[in-house]
Amino acid sequence: MRVIDRREVFLSAAALSLIGARAFAQSGAEVPVGVIYPLSGANAQIGVDARHALETAADIVNKSFDLDLPTAKNAGLAGLGGAKIKLIFADHQGDPQKGRAEAERLITQDKVVAIVGAFHSSVSATASVTCERYGIPYVTADSSSPSLHKRGLKFFFRTTAHDEMFSIAMFEFLDAQRKAGRKIDTLGLFFEDTIFGTDSSNVQRKLAAERGYKVVVDIKYKSNSPSLTAEVQQIKTANPDVLLPSSYTTDAILLMKTMDELGYKPKNIVAQAAGFSDKAFFDAVGDKAVGLISRASFSLDMAQKRPSILKVNEMFKARAGRDLNDNTSRQLMAVLVLADAIDRARSTDGEKIRDALATTEIPGNRTIMPWKRVKFGADGQNVDADPVLIQYVGGQFVTVYPAAVAVAEPLWPMNT
Amino acid sequence: MTSAQPFLQVLASGLAMGLIYALIAVGLSLIFGLMDVVNFAHGEFLMLAMYATFGLFFETALDPIVLAPLVVAIMFVLGISVYAGVVRYAMRAKTNPGMVQIFATFGLAILIQGLAQYFFTPDYRSIPNTWLGGKTLNLGGVFLPWPQIYGGAISLATFLGLYLLISRTDFGKALEATREDQGAVALVGIDRNRIFALGWGLGAALVGLAGAVLAIFYYIHPNVGGTFALVAYVTVALGGFGSIFGALVAGIIVGVVEALTTLILPPALKSVGIFTLYLGVLFIRPSGLLGRL
Amino acid sequence: MTELTLSRAETKSVASSIAEMRRFEILKALAIFALVAALPIIVHDVYLQNVLILTLMFAALSQSWNILGGYCGQISLGNALYFGIGAYVTSMLFVGFSITPWLGLGLGGVLAAVLAVVLGYPCFRLKGHYFSIATIVIAEIGLLLVHNWDYAGAALGIQWPVGQDGWTTLQFARNKIPYFYLALGLFVVTWFVTFFIEGSRWGYWWRAVRDNPEAARSLGVEVFRSKIAAAAVSAFFTAVGGGFYAAFVGYIDPDSVMSFRFSLLFALPAVLGGIGTLWGPAVGAAVLIPLTEILRSYAGGSGNGLDLIIYGGLVMLVALAKPDGLLSLFQLMGRGRST
Repeated sequence: MRVIDRREVFLSAAALSLIGARAFAQSGAEVPVGVIYPLSGANAQIGVDARHALETAADIVNKSFDLDLPTAKNAGLAGLGGAKIKLIFADHQGDPQKGRAEAERLITQDKVVAIVGAFHSSVSATASVTCERYGIPYVTADSSSPSLHKRGLKFFFRTTAHDEMFSIAMFEFLDAQRKAGRKIDTLGLFFEDTIFGTDSSNVQRKLAAERGYKVVVDIKYKSNSPSLTAEVQQIKTANPDVLLPSSYTTDAILLMKTMDELGYKPKNIVAQAAGFSDKAFFDAVGDKAVGLISRASFSLDMAQKRPSILKVNEMFKARAGRDLNDNTSRQLMAVLVLADAIDRARSTDGEKIRDALATTEIPGNRTIMPWKRVKFGADGQNVDADPVLIQYVGGQFVTVYPAAVAVAEPLWPMNT
Repeated sequence: MTSAQPFLQVLASGLAMGLIYALIAVGLSLIFGLMDVVNFAHGEFLMLAMYATFGLFFETALDPIVLAPLVVAIMFVLGISVYAGVVRYAMRAKTNPGMVQIFATFGLAILIQGLAQYFFTPDYRSIPNTWLGGKTLNLGGVFLPWPQIYGGAISLATFLGLYLLISRTDFGKALEATREDQGAVALVGIDRNRIFALGWGLGAALVGLAGAVLAIFYYIHPNVGGTFALVAYVTVALGGFGSIFGALVAGIIVGVVEALTTLILPPALKSVGIFTLYLGVLFIRPSGLLGRL
Repeated sequence: MTELTLSRAETKSVASSIAEMRRFEILKALAIFALVAALPIIVHDVYLQNVLILTLMFAALSQSWNILGGYCGQISLGNALYFGIGAYVTSMLFVGFSITPWLGLGLGGVLAAVLAVVLGYPCFRLKGHYFSIATIVIAEIGLLLVHNWDYAGAALGIQWPVGQDGWTTLQFARNKIPYFYLALGLFVVTWFVTFFIEGSRWGYWWRAVRDNPEAARSLGVEVFRSKIAAAAVSAFFTAVGGGFYAAFVGYIDPDSVMSFRFSLLFALPAVLGGIGTLWGPAVGAAVLIPLTEILRSYAGGSGNGLDLIIYGGLVMLVALAKPDGLLSLFQLMGRGRST
């Protein structure tokens, strides 16, 4: 009786897993996926937008659409007998401790098979370690600190480009402008005192030195300041050929307003997205930002090259009442990439989903992004997440770089 | 452009911003002086006033300048309600009433933030196309935005009005008497509760006016109060708790020092200038510039 | 003559009854600690364990705050500074030099205590709200400086390495139980420190000063020194708590350990439970922390601010309904029984 041979164990395990898979198919069971975003506090707006984007993505997975996107065609996940994914949202309020606790709760209580998050790089830092310890994949859609993928984590994946890749794209654009005979000698850095601003400016400073640009003004400012007058005055005095700001929405609005008030028209702005590609920014100061160039992971005008964009945007707009932007498009895509992996893993086991993620290969035209493809390196970074540069002209964004996906020539300089 | 221009620019902007800080802070100082209560929901009052301005603008399409009296009236009522509904009860604490009031108003602050997120969504708002918005006065290379000139003027006018109110009216005398000696006023037939309620109404109305000014040139969202709250507390403590003119002087100092600090230190550290000055003043004068102990 | 002997006898009996009460208090405390220590037997859910750890940690930190704020009446709203010092010293030593966090906890505590003494001399001259606002401002300066201090990672913060688990590194992978006992240990220590201070000369001086301003003048110098000492003790344990928190979370950045939010969170449990009492901070933390965590977790996912509305509303209601702290509930019951 006590002796159970190995074969028996193996067989019963196989039988059990078969029953499991059939149970999934029959009950139309749900695959729980955890989502952590800031749903209250200073960045609640980001979280609430993200919620709309991620729910749109879940819709694409769970219902049947004629879209050339991963898992869109059939309802649910074919690899799991049509099981549907169910998003479970948690609020981390921008606090790494809370993000970690919520990740733990989602894993242990809700038995999520993977977690998507988190906007704040600091929260991704802790939540991804928790996922690592539980052997659950962590997919970040939008945390862009370059340090994140350099920690040797096995279960960490990042679909988006990180700040280094973004800044390199910006400098390649500047180099191209130079080659075309435009005078670009001096740069101005203007960045907030957060992880995002610090990472962004560190890379930009390094690239500027390497590529022979002179940084004539280098301003680190406190985010959410009541006033930026003194800071703008310094930029105005230095008057760089190109201003490279890294700010979120609130400070981006204040920056543009203050520059306008001080009668300063910057020659060119090439922004590190964030606030500068937000709808609230253009509603508030769009008239002052004509000609502003921002790095981006998304542009609506790419619909010619990425046919799914328009339809997906409609779906998102029906929920959120606004167009997809840099953040929401990436969040949406992250869920699709994850769903594709679960589908191929044919399992809800963390390790198997992780292996499936590691072998992901989705060509760019099957995404809504300008990326070449989705393919993760050994460190979990999607190396082909090429950013684009978009310019705000005529009340909308136009892709101007790289040439392969550009829709128009950049308007340069922004102000003479 | 001369070399003095950037300096003058920073100075002028700091002065304008300082007057607005003073206007934000004076309501807090008034309430404190009257009844020893630090209102931790002061920033949230400011946020509500900005939303009120935004909402009224949206509904009526009138300019925020025209709407300011209406916002002030709304905030006056709100201030009285908060006193009657919250603060009055918090004052009953036998041990350490100060802390209990901090606690109660802290809860109120979170409640208001939650309500703002619930009703207004966390989106960033700003008021487009106002009379003054985006218009700038150019004084020989020194630029002063009209919304901030307007804010500074409103601030000065308000302080003049407050001076007259306190020195010339019966209400002002009752206010002054109540803050001098809460027990004695009951003997001369002044209803302490009524004065406190009016004090809260007035305090909220003042920050309401500041909100109506800020809404013209600043973005609005449920957490915007925090941006100005700390500056307001420092301004009040620097000027001396309860001192109205202390708030004016301190507001101007804070605005100017904050701006000038950026000429010496990295802008990310500009608050360090104000904070250090504040501590320096406090260690020499423990009750602030114009405060009484 | 008779009067004198009577009063001497009285004094004696009062003294012995106080000693007896204190013995009883210790027994009661030990019983409570034992009960709490047994909790992991029934609480297996890691999320709930996490809530328990935070509750104990904030109870300990609020108890540390209470030593200065509750007993001395010096309302500090800047303890996040000491918390941050503990978190940063521990993290920098461990991550940068592989020095065990245990040493970091001690060093951070000592550093914080020294700073508290240095800051105490000018700050204790300030009264009431001036003192409170000054502590906020000093902590805010600290936050800004760390935010701009590149060696300490500035805004990037410090990530603890993953994988070296054990008691020397204070990293325990999925296991939360060691953190639970560490947090409980910290609380027990702060409780006993408070208990002994309460019964010491300092405790009598402070009570005398609180109840009788005239006494303050005659005791002036001694009280000033004892306040400085209390500030040092308070800062020491706050920093130890900060070091614990850094090990527990495994990542720190300036805003996540030094923001004003923390300073408030150290004061609130004591105020909620009963300021200047032995059990107030624990009772307050036991109500406040689970409420905060559970509301966020189960009502915060909607993103419509409902969790904030309920949380803020409840905090306000408690302050209004029980302005003298939740502990007064128990005391009323106790008194009711004895009469």
